[in-house]
Amino acid sequence: MTPQENIIPQNPSPVTVKDLNTENPRWCGGCGDFSILACLKRFIVERQLRPESVVNISGIGCSGRAPNYLNTYGIHSIHGRPITVALGLALTRPDLHLFIHSGDGDSMSIGGNHLMHGINRNFNCVFLMYDNEIYALTKNQTSPTTRKGHRTNTQPFGSYLSPLNPLTVALGLGSSFVASTADWIPDHLMSTLSAAFDHPGFSFVHICQRCVHFDIENFDTKTSSWFSFLKHPNGISPDKRLADKSECLDHDPTNLNDAFKYAAADRRYFGLFYVNRDKPRYDNILQNLVAGSPKKDRGKLLDPYSI
Amino acid sequence: MPIEKRSVTRFELLMDAGAGAQKAGDILLEAFVAMGKFIYVEPMIPAEISPAARTRYALSGIIIRLADFDINNIGNDTDLILASQEVVLGRRLDDHEFNARCQILLDAGDRDKSPATYDAVIERCAKEGLIVTTFDIDPASKQIIADMSGKGTNLYYLGMLSFIYNMDENTVKFEIEKNLGKKLDPEVMKINITLYLNGYQMAKTRDFLRYQVDASPRQYDKILIDGNTALSLGIIDAGFKLYSGYPITPASSVMHTLAKELPHYGGRTHQAEDEIAAIGTAIGAYFGGVPSITGTSGPGFSLKQEFIGFAQAAEIPIVVLNVQRGGPSTGMPTRTEQSDLLAAIYGTHGDATKIVISVSNIIDCFYAPHVARYLAEKLRLPVIIMSDFQTANSYKVISRPQVVQLDNIDNIPDFILERFHLKRLAAHIETVRPLQTIPGTPDGMRRVTGLNTDAQGQVSTSAQESQRSHRVRNNKVNHVRQSLDKPTVFGPATNDILVVGWGSTSGAIEEAVSLAQKQGLGVSGMSLQIIYPLPLMLKEMFSHYKKIVSVEIAYGDANKLPPLASLLRADTLVDIQPLIATATGRPIRPKDVLAKVKEVLK
Repeated sequence: MTPQENIIPQNPSPVTVKDLNTENPRWCGGCGDFSILACLKRFIVERQLRPESVVNISGIGCSGRAPNYLNTYGIHSIHGRPITVALGLALTRPDLHLFIHSGDGDSMSIGGNHLMHGINRNFNCVFLMYDNEIYALTKNQTSPTTRKGHRTNTQPFGSYLSPLNPLTVALGLGSSFVASTADWIPDHLMSTLSAAFDHPGFSFVHICQRCVHFDIENFDTKTSSWFSFLKHPNGISPDKRLADKSECLDHDPTNLNDAFKYAAADRRYFGLFYVNRDKPRYDNILQNLVAGSPKKDRGKLLDPYSI
Repeated sequence: MPIEKRSVTRFELLMDAGAGAQKAGDILLEAFVAMGKFIYVEPMIPAEISPAARTRYALSGIIIRLADFDINNIGNDTDLILASQEVVLGRRLDDHEFNARCQILLDAGDRDKSPATYDAVIERCAKEGLIVTTFDIDPASKQIIADMSGKGTNLYYLGMLSFIYNMDENTVKFEIEKNLGKKLDPEVMKINITLYLNGYQMAKTRDFLRYQVDASPRQYDKILIDGNTALSLGIIDAGFKLYSGYPITPASSVMHTLAKELPHYGGRTHQAEDEIAAIGTAIGAYFGGVPSITGTSGPGFSLKQEFIGFAQAAEIPIVVLNVQRGGPSTGMPTRTEQSDLLAAIYGTHGDATKIVISVSNIIDCFYAPHVARYLAEKLRLPVIIMSDFQTANSYKVISRPQVVQLDNIDNIPDFILERFHLKRLAAHIETVRPLQTIPGTPDGMRRVTGLNTDAQGQVSTSAQESQRSHRVRNNKVNHVRQSLDKPTVFGPATNDILVVGWGSTSGAIEEAVSLAQKQGLGVSGMSLQIIYPLPLMLKEMFSHYKKIVSVEIAYGDANKLPPLASLLRADTLVDIQPLIATATGRPIRPKDVLAKVKEVLK
């Protein structure tokens, strides 16, 4: 086997949403995952990414099923580990576009170690954190982002701890790109995907995602008074549908202190919190090491051991 | 003192960690090899980095087995121990690997540091019937060593050993210059040579027992290499382009070698954040069509099991190296054991379908990666390479193996497959999903998952589809089973007793069989290279022996069958009993195999 790079047909017909369909997703009706999937398909079409050069990689949970519903290449891996699998492709196949799909349990609990190192390695990918604040596919257990007091099957008297904040975690780990959006504001989600895709490095995208089955109260999708958009010429535009109705704050995404302030606030902010295009990329470092190492002749492999 | 002629002999140089015993040994063994002698070497490595000097944990040294014939194991007992002080000597005596006439040369320089300890060790040697000869480094040399802050004692001992093994003064001097010349400045080099010569002269004045192993210098294309280095270079020759690992003893040295070397051959080494990440990254790269391997030892092997199962289900090739050490749990990281066998074969939850390859010697280490890659890609299954601490760290001089520069697995040469008793597999082997394209292939888009799927890759819980997936995966293993030839047999195909082993015990079994045959005993031996699946004709082969026994470095007793015996019994329904099933952390000795065989034959 050798990677068949750049074998894109001469005049490929344009990619359409229809080309990206596989089977009908098996999520619950009204699940926020449908919206994320639809936006990603629209994004691939908008950018005309060749489906054969896209790889969707996921862990376990409702979000883990996403790659199965996109007619690209895909790896539905094991619980908490999609970042490790994606890294293997990033280190060896820089020609591919990588999208990682990981839930709040997958990325903040069982896969926490990998999130920490994925962010630090800053390898090129779009990391989509589907945050529905619950373990859903395993049937209603407390996750690291479940709000305190919310009753679940494993913490039936109300979840004991204050939730982890994915945004301050990502910022604290030195993430080169931190954005937050929500599944029910598709225009903003699309703009966020676009900014994340164009960022060279590990683009951490937090997505508030509805779970209609186990927790219909955590996100009020009917009103917009409880959140604000962060805006900036170098940031992500506020959602077109809500721009007039919602608070829009100016925030320079290179200002880390303000990014922390908004991320840690009680109020929700959607937009680009932080970006640093200069953070070194581990995938580049290893590729440059290979490219820059003087070639040795495999035929003379054992010569240095000769006595 | 006259020189005793020996066909084979073994000696040890024991010092505190960091004092250079292994360096001195390496120089001496190169001189032996230059004179045509055969060697097998085991470094003794402490589990800690810099344990305090004169403690039992500080034991560091080198065991050199020297022969006039080719040897494949570290042998039986030691004929001579040169120890820098009594504490490390006392620690090593605990292992009881000295023979009755073992000569002990003890440097008395530390006598006054702890007279009670010193006397106790001397007394103990007397009780064991060992001949202890104490010596003092001559005053001039002592002063030189003191001036060099204690360095250089190893070169003095090297001089003593060179005289004792009747080596020409200049032959060894040449090897010292070859080994240290590039690293030391000329003045320091001169001092080291002086210490070497002083040691040589001092030994001349004493009546130490001396040994001579006769061999004629031979011209052949030879290399000096240890098991882990051979594996690392085999990984490069087999065409792997990613090694992904996490630091763990005794597998780490593979990652060290490849971190330096792989980039020169178009590959890269990735140090992952943990053992699970290491295999995940290798699996991701292999999905992208890039041959990838992950390596580890016991504890890390446990952590990788979920991903090994995933690779089976998703049909992504992967090669996993397990350099075994003492277990369970953290166990003994710097001692040898073969207790991971069943975890390798049956590990991961659910039905396990994988191939397990073992390495019996250093040349196997070089070619195992080729076979592993061939099988992994051909079958799209995980392939496990099982080594162990002993094989990983022991080194010897071997005829240079042929480098094959494998790229396309279909070009793997027959001689490599034959080494592992494998016939070339069928051109097409059925997979659960016929489509096995790699990313970048237009119109080949596909998804893999750990969930059960139908042939099109759609997630499925259908009874028929589940059963089919299992059947297809198990048929892959069956393909290998059908393609396995008879394993290596030492001695006649029909005999009174057959001693079966795998991996690092093979060398001791081969030697024990050879000794037994010289004594007219009806003993044959067998070594398994591919250990799972087992060859189909095994039961038939066993039927030609009155008794079949296993030898393994794994715990067994009257109530507990060790792993290899369990596996062979389950496969053949033959009443196989363990002949030796010990987990001492030390290699099995040919003479123990022979003694036990004699008991059984009585």
